[in-house]
Amino acid sequence: MVPPWRINTVLERAETGPICTEKDFDLKILSPKLQEVIKEHDIKFNPEEIVPSDNSLADDVWEAGLELYLEVGTFCVSTHRRILFDESEIKEALKTSPTEIIVGSGRDARKMCHRQIEDSKPPFCLFSPDITCDEEIFVPMSMAYLQEPLADGVCAPILDTIEGVRIRAGSPFEVKASVAHAMMFREAARRVGRPGIFLQSVGTAESDVAQIAASNPEWGERLTDGRFVASIAELKTDYSLLNKMVHYHLYGCFVGSLHGPMYGGYCGGAEGTAVVGVAAHLQALMVNQAHYSNYFPIHFRYSFNTSRELLWLISVSYQAIARNTPFISLSNGFTSAGPGTPMVLYEAAAHGLVSVVSGGNLWEIAVAQNKHKNYATPVEARMACEVGHGVVKQGIKRSDANEIVKMILPKYEDKLTNPPLGKTFQECYDIKRVTPRKDYLELYDKIKKELMDIGVPFIY
Amino acid sequence: MNETDLIEKLKQSIINCDEEEAKKVAEEIVAAGIDPVKAVNEGISPAAKVVGEKFEKGDYFLTHLMLAGEAMKAASEILMSKLSEKEKERVSAERAGSVVLATVSGDIHDIGKNILGLLLSVNGFKVYDLGKDVDAMTIVQKAIETKADIIALSALMTTTMPAQKEVIDLLKAMGVRDKFVVLVGGGSTTREWAEEIGADGWAETAEEAVSLAKRLIEKKRGA
Repeated sequence: MVPPWRINTVLERAETGPICTEKDFDLKILSPKLQEVIKEHDIKFNPEEIVPSDNSLADDVWEAGLELYLEVGTFCVSTHRRILFDESEIKEALKTSPTEIIVGSGRDARKMCHRQIEDSKPPFCLFSPDITCDEEIFVPMSMAYLQEPLADGVCAPILDTIEGVRIRAGSPFEVKASVAHAMMFREAARRVGRPGIFLQSVGTAESDVAQIAASNPEWGERLTDGRFVASIAELKTDYSLLNKMVHYHLYGCFVGSLHGPMYGGYCGGAEGTAVVGVAAHLQALMVNQAHYSNYFPIHFRYSFNTSRELLWLISVSYQAIARNTPFISLSNGFTSAGPGTPMVLYEAAAHGLVSVVSGGNLWEIAVAQNKHKNYATPVEARMACEVGHGVVKQGIKRSDANEIVKMILPKYEDKLTNPPLGKTFQECYDIKRVTPRKDYLELYDKIKKELMDIGVPFIY
Repeated sequence: MNETDLIEKLKQSIINCDEEEAKKVAEEIVAAGIDPVKAVNEGISPAAKVVGEKFEKGDYFLTHLMLAGEAMKAASEILMSKLSEKEKERVSAERAGSVVLATVSGDIHDIGKNILGLLLSVNGFKVYDLGKDVDAMTIVQKAIETKADIIALSALMTTTMPAQKEVIDLLKAMGVRDKFVVLVGGGSTTREWAEEIGADGWAETAEEAVSLAKRLIEKKRGA
């Protein structure tokens, strides 16, 4: 059975659920319950065990996340009401949720699966720059990602201008840009010979109206593509997001849920962020009724998730989800360093390693703290995904991964808050030929060899 | 309990993020006839400084900051209610400055904005937090109405950044641009963006934004 189960139930509860202010939801409902479940289940971050091998910890994080979600639910900002579910509804949804879906079409179709801890199934690898780019390089940059051999699906860069005009969310220019994004991305896929590849779109469109404008099986987002319903941190939604949810389901495309609990925000530290991460997956299942998730816990101040604390919480929340749910979830890396630097490749390798051994698929990778236009290339994603496939090929266990990541971290963790920005896509790639420049490939090979020497697994 | 002990108790209640305790102690201070201004200066202000430092070091997270902010606000209201209008004016004049704060139109992300609001408050600024997804005219009108020193604009998404420029354009169109220091920030913004749209300053973190606000206000007042 495939979602959605009950769109109207969600929408009705958004209008009839218990009422509270947003501040009370954050401080009087979410925060105390989160502290309570962390204490009750005795969840503790251990900086020396970044990839824990203890199944009971994973199950404790799961139980804590479930208890949290059952009590607090999802806050709808538009109506100031909480959307609540009971345990039987969540169990029913968990039981009937698909463990695999076929995305994309024709010879480019791929299976996206739920993965177990130390699974022998390779990860689904979605390649994405996750950043804005100049309008004139949208197609070559998209082609660069689309032609990566390990890419099972691709998400395009984001436009911030259209025909030279700066795009503002909610404006007619955003609608225009969203349509242009969908058309150009489809064109790029055809030009690299992968016309049916799974496309995740439309990153250019923030508003509901601009997203809806891009749904078109001929020139835009097809039924075999994926669309996102984000959540507002933490455990919140609103009518604009629910409008997207309803539209995607009625249109018939795949629905992804996008959630990035913030380390240091309302979640608190690593333990709280891991627990909220599990609860956010339940929101994905129950409110967005998603077929898959993009999960990117992130440092609230520096927008990375490759530190010791963040990698630990990625590991434990993925282990919790792998052992206790049928969710299909893609782990989205965020590095501190930018393209063309050794540091970004270390960070990408660490993220791919920890995510895949813990049960995640991969969505790689936002770089340079995800804020610098044109700063992203497929080479960083390639590193994470080669390592991810290597984990499966070499049968890496959690204990192995823990020892390996502890050798990678000292190479960069002291620079996380003051990272090298690196180079732009144009500086790293020959745009006309859509190929990486020689110096970046040489750096890649050098870092790859260095990582292999300390036991980092690679597919080839 | 003597005056010193009560003020210390107030300080600790805020550092412990305990709103109920802070309210109780503030009532005790008022009942004991202790000078409310002294309680603010020696109890609440130092507590705010400690909370801010703990947040900066990563010992406190956002929830601590918000709970401490609530405790501080509740205790201040009790203490300030006992001041005469003249005394209130004096306390107000001693503030670091006033800030109209908002996440701009089209953007629903407010965590960064909330952090900045709290850090500005604990550093002595009067903050008018207009919330998220706030249209440009509402922001400008509030700044004019309150005679604010600073307008601080947050945007997380690249497609909502232009709404920061819209506020600056509106200030110019209304002929009041020079009356306000305009700061911009948020996940996707950069120093280059701030320069491009004619903002007075940009900061990467909330802590940097507070220092910048202090510097720019000094400059404005000195001008």
